[in-house]
This record gives sequence, C-alpha cells and structure tokens, in this order.
Amino acid sequence: MNLPRIGLTTLVALAFGLAVTSFVSSGTLLSLFTQAIIYAIFAIGIGVLLRQNGMVSFGHALYFGGAGYGIGILLQAQLMPAELAIVLTLVGLTALAFVIGLIIVRVPGIAFGMLTLAIGQMAFLMASRARGVTGGADGMNIDWPSTLFGLSQSVLLKPAHMFLLCWSVLVLVLFALALLLRSRFGSITEAVRDNEERARFIGITTLLPRASVYALSALVTGVAGILSSLNTGFVSPENLHWSLSGMTLMMVVVGGARALWGPALGAVVYFLFKDILGDYATHWMSIFGLALISVIVFSPHGIAGALQRLSTLGKRGAPLPAAARPAQAH
Amino acid sequence: MSHNSTARSGPAYVLQAQDVAIHYGGVKALDGASLTLEKGQIRGLIGPNGAGKSTVIDAITGRRALTRGQVTLMGEDVSALGAVERRRRGLSRSFQRTSIFSQMGVRQQVELASYKMGVADSQADADAILKELDLDRLSHATAEDLGYGEQRRLDLALALVGRPKVLMLDEPMAGLSVKESMDLAQHLKQLTSSWEVSVLLVEHDMDVVFGISDVVTVFELGRVIASGAPAEVRANPRVREAYLGSAA
Repeated sequence: MNLPRIGLTTLVALAFGLAVTSFVSSGTLLSLFTQAIIYAIFAIGIGVLLRQNGMVSFGHALYFGGAGYGIGILLQAQLMPAELAIVLTLVGLTALAFVIGLIIVRVPGIAFGMLTLAIGQMAFLMASRARGVTGGADGMNIDWPSTLFGLSQSVLLKPAHMFLLCWSVLVLVLFALALLLRSRFGSITEAVRDNEERARFIGITTLLPRASVYALSALVTGVAGILSSLNTGFVSPENLHWSLSGMTLMMVVVGGARALWGPALGAVVYFLFKDILGDYATHWMSIFGLALISVIVFSPHGIAGALQRLSTLGKRGAPLPAAARPAQAH
Repeated sequence: MSHNSTARSGPAYVLQAQDVAIHYGGVKALDGASLTLEKGQIRGLIGPNGAGKSTVIDAITGRRALTRGQVTLMGEDVSALGAVERRRRGLSRSFQRTSIFSQMGVRQQVELASYKMGVADSQADADAILKELDLDRLSHATAEDLGYGEQRRLDLALALVGRPKVLMLDEPMAGLSVKESMDLAQHLKQLTSSWEVSVLLVEHDMDVVFGISDVVTVFELGRVIASGAPAEVRANPRVREAYLGSAA
C-alpha cells in the first residue's frame, strides 16, 4: 500500500469511528466494542511479532498487565502527572522488552514460546505475591486523576468517548506500524524472518532487528494495557496470566498475521462469537475452537489471508501469481 | 599445502586459506587444507560427497569456527572476524540450497542487500545486478513465485551485491537444466572479467568445472589431494581413481 493510500485509509477509518458513535447509542454495545478494540490492539502487538519475526509468544500478557501495574504504581506514588506516567510506563516497558528480547530472540521455535511463557508466569507470580506493591491476588485500583490530557474523567469515561479514544488509538497504531514496516526497518526484519543466514551474508546483524521487533510488539501491547487500565480503572494478576496471552494468540491465528489488520479482525470475530454465542451456549469457547481449527486447516493465514487471496484473484482474474511473468525469462 | 600451479613470481592473492581445519570432536571435516585465489580467477573445487568442499567455504566465510589455520583477504587476516564482517569486507557466498528471501520482492531484496553493503546508490546498483543476471523483468515479482532457475539466479544476485572480491558458490548448477547451467557458467566467466571477482566454485558438473575454471583443486577426506590446471588435474591418476573415474 502506498503512502497516500495509507493516509486516506487512516482518515476514512477515523471518520468511521466518529460515525459509529453517532449511530450507536447503546452504552453496553459501545462498551463491548471498546473492549474488543483494546484486545484488537493487544492482538496487533502479538501479530507484529509473528509477522516480522515469525515468532509466537505465549507470554505477552506480561506487557499488557505490566502496563496496568506500571501506571497504577506510578500514579499511586504521585510523583508525576498522569500523562508523563503513561509515557514513562510505555518507555520502561519497551526498554525492558528490548533487554529481554536481546536474550530470548536468539532461541528459535517452540523454545522461544516456552521462554515467553516462563517469563510471563514469573511476572504473574510476582504480582500475585507482592501484596504490598500490587495488591496481590486482589489486584489494585488505579487512581486516575480527575483530568487527563485536558479532559475531565467524567467526559472521558463516557462509553461513546471511550470507544472513540480506543478506536482512534487503534487506527493510529495501525497507521504508525504501516509507515514503520514499509521503511527500511520493515525490509530488514522481513529479511531476517525469511532467511536469517542469508541475511547475515548480505551484511545484516540479525539480533538487533529481532530484539527491536520484540520491543515494538511489547510497546503496542503496552498501549492496549494502558487503555484497559483506563477503561476499567483496575489491574489484577489475571491481566498477566498466560491464558490471556493464549486467548489473544487465538485472535491472531483466526484473523491472520500476514496483514497488519488481521489480528484486529480476529479480535472482533472473537468478541462477536463471545457475545452472540455466549447468549445461547455456555461452552461457546468450544464452538470458537471449531472455528479456530477450520481457519488453521482451510486458511493458514487466517481470515485476513483468505480475504487478501480473494482480492488478489479478483484483481488478476487468474489463480497463479506467476501468470503475468514473461514466458521465458532467461 | 597446495597452491595455484600458475608459474608466477609473487602473485597478488586476493584470498589465502592456510592450513584451515574444522574438527567436530574426533571427526575431521576439514584437515589442514590450503588454497589461494588470484584476482579474476575461477578455482573449481571437486571431490566426492563429504570430502570437505562445502566445509572449506564455511571455514573461509566464517560460518564455522576454525579449529586451526588462517584466512587472509587482500593481505588482511580475517580469521577472527564473524560472517557479517567478512561479507562486508568482500567475502561472499551462495549455499547448496537456494537461499533467498522468499516472501520479499525480487528488487526489494537485492536493493536491501545493496543498502546493507553500504553501496551509495543502492537503487541503481540493484538495477544493474538484476540486469546483469537477466532478472530485471522480474523485479516486482515475489521471490517465491519465481521458477527454480530464476531463484538460483536471484541467489547469485544477492551474493554479488556490493561487488565482492571473492565469490564462493556451493553447487550453483544443482537442479538446473543443461541450458540453464551453461548460461550460468557463461555469466560467471563474464563476471570474473567485467567485475574482476574471484570465484571459488564447488560443483559436481564436471563439464562446467573443467570448462570455466582456471585452476581445479581436488578434495578427499578433508584434505587437498591435487591442485593445478584443469588438464593437469584431469590427467592425475590419483584424482581419476578417487573421484573422476570414467567421467574423466
């Protein structure tokens, strides 16, 4: 996608968010949308790691819950304005992730996934037991100030406004990632993902790009964690638990990670299943599980991958991507 | 130790590998091999499977750590440098299996490689390399959509980025048709004269090796057993016995 098209799509998406708040008046529905969007951003964080590094994390809840605890502890200490605390939390999380990344991205495949799981669960146990700092298993309330970025809390926390805020952040995150990944950084990380050995033999040092992508994915996940803590005003060890990482990973698989927006689509599908099927079936997750299996079997690149394939076929009118090539190139 | 047999006083070697050895425990994959390359020279490396031909490329490029020995590029000892640093200094290679970036565009990956090698105008450099290898018409294709022969040429294009001083090719003709092999051999020969690149060629296609090499080195059990001009090596009884057999 070229730059003007990315810009136009972003503007249209922002306008779409405004339109939704105009047409949907149900606070419950808007709250559901908000929750789905927060998890969409979380899923994009995991998706970026999969897309650019080819790595699966089972422990990204560390950065989701970590953002909540980070902002909660900083606000409790009352050392700085909330806006600065948000920035500091995100910078701190990104730096932490970069350092962790420098160690764990060297490990390939399933071992990497197990390391992320182990680190995430360590954080979960620490948060559960450090009662004096985190409130332990009971969690902690987050003392948001009465105004944030010049907006009073009563205005900000209205369902329509919260939805609009989260939607705008989602769109801007996608916009920023689209710009970043079409830059040289995107090409380098794709090269390292595709063929690390060849990457070394064209002069790329492969560790830093991998660790940077890991940190980037943590940053995006941290943004979701901040929004979640703003939306609920609460954070607990459950926000760090591996099952949350697993659930979000399912969203990524269903949506597909090849397209940046795929994981967000997966999150929307997940919440639709949860909301619609949850009314009729207690064990709606088993139905979602069937959907997950179907996607993995029939469309390994997720719903977004299937949609992209259909779009490509529609444009070319022929199934083979190589059909337009010269018959005899050499 | 076997050096180029070309009679010349003090040849300016681009590459010198001296007594290089790679041992895995008790297994001697490479056991003290030595070879040289002069500017624009093609040295063919032949020998049975497991003789140490690919391992010598791994040793020279830094893919495998040396047990002993020394690798010198343009007079500089590069033995202690990693693969990335050696590549940046001009030691380039291809692999037995096609090694490209399958999900990236053809031009995108060659341009990226040029950029990473510090070429000032990476766009123009990528275009020149693609044109040289007849890949310019496929610039916008995704690598995984190319035919096998085209992928092998893309592999070679990536190895040529940054105008390396030494190009080490590990069975570049494997899987190619006779015509594709001959075309690629022709390209290699042209490159040595037009770009003054020196080539170390590991290949099982004897017609290609003896057809384009200036010198040929024969490996067996991790050691050099013969080295010299193609006709000289072809006539060597030990080489005939160990490897060439009726192919000679």
